[in-house]
Amino acid sequence: MPALLEIRGLSAGLQGRRAITQVISQIDLDVQAGEILGVVGESGCGKSTLATAIMRLLVPPQVLQSGSIRLRLAAGETVDLLAISESELRALRWRHLSYIPQGSMNSLNPVLRVGRQMMDTLIQHGLTSGEARARAIEALELVNLERKLLDSYPHELSGGMRQRVIIAAAVSMRPALIVADELTTALDVVTQRQILQELAAIRDELGATILLITHDMGVVAQIADRVAVMYAGKIAELGSVHGIFEAPRHPYSQGLIGSIPRASGQRVEGLPGEAPSPWNYPAGCRFHPRCPKVFDLCREHAPELMRQDSGRWAACHLYDDEVAAHA
Amino acid sequence: MPDLLAVENLRQIFGGRNRTYAVDDVSFRIPAEPRIVSLVGESGSGKSTIARIILGLLRPTAGTVLYDGVDIFRPDRSWNRRFRSEVQAVFQDPYSVYNPVYKAERVLKLVIRKFGLAKTKAEARERMEAALRAVDLQPDEVLDRHPHQLSGGQRQRLMLARVYLMRPRLIVADEPVSMIDAGMRASFLNILGDFRDNHGISTLFITHDLSTAMYLGGEIIVLYQGRIMETGATHSVMSAPMHPYAQLLIDSIPTPDPRRRWEEDLSSAPLSEIGGATVASAPNRDHCLFADRCPQVMEKCWAARPVLRAPAARAADAAHRDVACYLYD
Ligand SMILES: Nc1ncnc2c1ncn2[C@@H]1O[C@H](COP(=O)(O)OP(=O)(O)OP(=O)(O)O)[C@@H](O)[C@H]1O
Ligand SMILES: Nc1ncnc2c1ncn2[C@@H]1O[C@H](COP(=O)(O)OP(=O)(O)O)[C@@H](O)[C@H]1O
Ligand code: SF4
Ligand code: SF4
Ligand SMILES: [Mg+2]
Ligand SMILES: [Mg+2]
Repeated sequence: MPALLEIRGLSAGLQGRRAITQVISQIDLDVQAGEILGVVGESGCGKSTLATAIMRLLVPPQVLQSGSIRLRLAAGETVDLLAISESELRALRWRHLSYIPQGSMNSLNPVLRVGRQMMDTLIQHGLTSGEARARAIEALELVNLERKLLDSYPHELSGGMRQRVIIAAAVSMRPALIVADELTTALDVVTQRQILQELAAIRDELGATILLITHDMGVVAQIADRVAVMYAGKIAELGSVHGIFEAPRHPYSQGLIGSIPRASGQRVEGLPGEAPSPWNYPAGCRFHPRCPKVFDLCREHAPELMRQDSGRWAACHLYDDEVAAHA
Repeated sequence: MPDLLAVENLRQIFGGRNRTYAVDDVSFRIPAEPRIVSLVGESGSGKSTIARIILGLLRPTAGTVLYDGVDIFRPDRSWNRRFRSEVQAVFQDPYSVYNPVYKAERVLKLVIRKFGLAKTKAEARERMEAALRAVDLQPDEVLDRHPHQLSGGQRQRLMLARVYLMRPRLIVADEPVSMIDAGMRASFLNILGDFRDNHGISTLFITHDLSTAMYLGGEIIVLYQGRIMETGATHSVMSAPMHPYAQLLIDSIPTPDPRRRWEEDLSSAPLSEIGGATVASAPNRDHCLFADRCPQVMEKCWAARPVLRAPAARAADAAHRDVACYLYD
């Protein structure tokens, strides 16, 4: 099956006075139809930059540097989100792909009723007021909210309810792809769990595809089908959720999973050092200063994301057969 | 020896018309021997309010806080000085407490001077370096830097180094790791364990993240809408919670293991029962506050508030536990 979304060579950065500082570098990623793909990594590794670049919503000083993002629409037909015009893109947003930005539950307009806000967007996309209302109610039900909430103001709702309103709005046009950035980060665990389970139910019901961006390893372990581990603006490893958690291959994934405080209270050591910011990404493999398995080649040459067996991809010289053959 | 901290019938009601019962009859104690006690609960459950009261920053509506047997709101000036050096706060974002124009060295020197911790320059330097080493920071890497030149994890550990210098008996830490990454988090928590084991420092650790509390061990207090629902040894509560709210809470932790996913699907559970608003302003609170969400609710749960006490049927050798629920009467 061809992927629903095919990201190739995507790079984006920050425009400085003299030069562009690259934040995400040469991202290659396929998102399969119907899956929940979790993108995890420490804060600052470029997850939100990736999400906004996919949505073509980078704002200065952020700049797109290169790449293509092909979205499959209907049988065979694809568009490059980065190549089409602004108006063509506008026609795709909400209907084909929608975006739930980080912190969006605090972005509702405080002086407008929830129903008004949801319906306005739908009306802008060509629905009549009656259709918009019906769609809004249907969407609220998908996230467990009663229709009477349409008449509420945002401040009357708990954080979990506001986040649900945002999700409802995002799915109201039944998009094929939903990109959600730190969807449940600000919520307590019970609400988080319920919202994630609602999201999975929406995926089943609408046949949607979800790109779930989070720093929380627990969230991806619970809900994702596949996982992309990001480090310093690149994908370090990609694979099934079971593969990544049970047998991580990239030394960074290994360290990240090993440093999760365990229920057993067993002492774990954090990863040594800290993640570099875009202004000081190291040469060669960006993980090399912290890598327990570093060798000479790592300091000079950046490993590419390469296919391993069984749907696993890793960007590490340890798994490069050619390097192994010469070693 | 008196308890290090004894919180008795604490109550904090905010606001005029829309009264908020932020803290509603909370009692607990931290003994004189060094301990780590975690205070957990969802957003708005009253954790930070309790912390502010214990630190003497907020006078409660009712109830008392005894530190080393003395009421913290009624002591004299010299006692106050002692209290302020023996009880130290660590907050979520250490950035906000640092003066941005001060280098790390100045931050630590100020404390040394204020509390007269060293007589000579050499002694001050020695103390500073020891404090930094105690929190896994390299003196030459941080002393000459401004706070904004440090990472979140480094800033948070600098804060601990500052606290360490003062050799407090109690640290009150409100969500200290929620802004730092998983990798760094473990080393921060390890330091609190070292403080307890090697320096006799207790910590009241406030968090909404149960996995952090689990990692710390010690004792746990589970708050819900300003009331304690369950308390006991962290590992015993976490592995076998008794209160239905504690059960739901612990069951909902996203375990970072895809082999242990949530069993029950809450995706269509009505919100009035689960995950609804937690605004603590219901006018009538003379009942179990979890009754509207509890799968095991009974008629009497609505009639009067359950008392926090040891469950009736407990094995004699079981670790100490208190539960506020009619299921265990
Ligand atoms: N100064 C105040 N005036 C009015 N209400 C307040 C005040 N401080 C806190 N509250 C209310 O008291 C309740 C408890 O708040 P508190 O900050 O203690 O919660 P918390 O458990 O620390 O939450 P979080 O996890 O979000 O930090 C909330 O309903 C809050 O809105
Ligand atoms: N608009 C911006 N201005 C300045 N720096 C930015 C901006 N957006 C992102 N960055 C920087 O780019 C890096 C990646 O950020 P981000 O994509 O938000 O990471 P994540 O979502 O993984 O936490 C960080 O170092 C961040 O500070
Ligand atoms: S390429 Fe080298 S430095 Fe990078 S993760 Fe692999 S072994 Fe470590
Ligand atoms: S007292 Fe009743 S309503 Fe409250 S937790 Fe126990 S069983 Fe449930
Ligand atoms: Mg982000
Ligand atoms: Mg708080």
